[in-house]
Amino acid sequence: MIPTTLRITLCIAVICYFIVILHYLKNKMLELKYTLIWLVAGLVMGIMVFVPELLRWFIHLLGIEDNMNGLFILCFAFVILILMTMTSIASRTTMKMRSIIQEMGMLEKRVRELEEEKKEP
Amino acid sequence: MFEFNLLFIYNEAQVTRDGLPGMSGVHMNQKEKSSLLVIIPAYNEAESIEKVVDNLIGNYPQYDYVVINDGSTDHTGAICAEKGYQVVNLPINLGIGGAVQTGYRYALRNGYSYAVQMDGDGQHDPQFLEGMLETLEKEEADEVIGSRFLKKEGFQSSGSRRTGITILSILGKILTGIRIMDITSGYRMVGKRLIRIFAEDYPADYPEPEAMVIAATNRCRILEYPVIMKERQSGRSSISPRRAVYYMFKVSLGMIIRRLSLGFRRGK
Repeated sequence: MIPTTLRITLCIAVICYFIVILHYLKNKMLELKYTLIWLVAGLVMGIMVFVPELLRWFIHLLGIEDNMNGLFILCFAFVILILMTMTSIASRTTMKMRSIIQEMGMLEKRVRELEEEKKEP
Repeated sequence: MFEFNLLFIYNEAQVTRDGLPGMSGVHMNQKEKSSLLVIIPAYNEAESIEKVVDNLIGNYPQYDYVVINDGSTDHTGAICAEKGYQVVNLPINLGIGGAVQTGYRYALRNGYSYAVQMDGDGQHDPQFLEGMLETLEKEEADEVIGSRFLKKEGFQSSGSRRTGITILSILGKILTGIRIMDITSGYRMVGKRLIRIFAEDYPADYPEPEAMVIAATNRCRILEYPVIMKERQSGRSSISPRRAVYYMFKVSLGMIIRRLSLGFRRGK
């Protein structure tokens, strides 16, 4: 069983976590699309803290003996999931950027040609 | 050899279908448009670009060309501007894959029927362009790869590199059933179908072997054409010995993933 003091600490941590996310969202520093995974992670953390029986059941289901170890493994899994999402977002952004740079290069050439055409006659 | 007028009309129609509005008039005023576009990717090739392009303009004026200045930090861009070359300046360095893809996009947008990539460092001799183009047309191939190993003449690369190329070549054969001896050759000519495919999807870095797998999995007919390559006139290879291991790993993985993710397209 998770000690009560730790539950209180985790409770406060989860609340802080949500405040930070809401702060970011409010100030438009995060796009909602990318925040969803963070919100889901926070929700799961909240459930784990407030309904520890559920956590215990789930951890035993996974075959992990110690509750605290289980908690850490779950946290770690979430961090990895979020990191993979980030890598995927970064890759997609890179691809989009590559397209934009290529388009821009071709447009710049076109503009140059038009300028020359305009100068000539 | 080229039916200029017919091609011209056809190309114009093509352009209005593919290009952005207002982009349709991109061609040279001075001369008739050719059906082949020579794509010259150049990253910091200030020492050799002039020689390469002047040779092309002077001796092979029947072909159109475009230099893709891939965010060079030396005078490559300035030289191109000063000499009035056809040049696309990329504001940020994209690497060879991104630069070559720009060329294919340019070819697609301007309705070229054939495109060939030719390095800006003088390794690839334009005297083989005609032969490659003829092979492409006569054999109805989709891609012709200039290979230095078919006749074993000219610059043959070092032993360790040849070993790497052989391994990749065999891997290509396992993945696609097509054996390309010089699978890393960057001297390759493609037809309309592959211009379209490559404009859409081209690997980012060390793209050649992966691009061959893309072509093969799209049921393209790939041929090799014997060419003689020179040793680069200046600059350094992008693959230092230290990066060779990384290169082999990355390229092999890229080829395998390509093969897995594309699958064979059924029929044409």
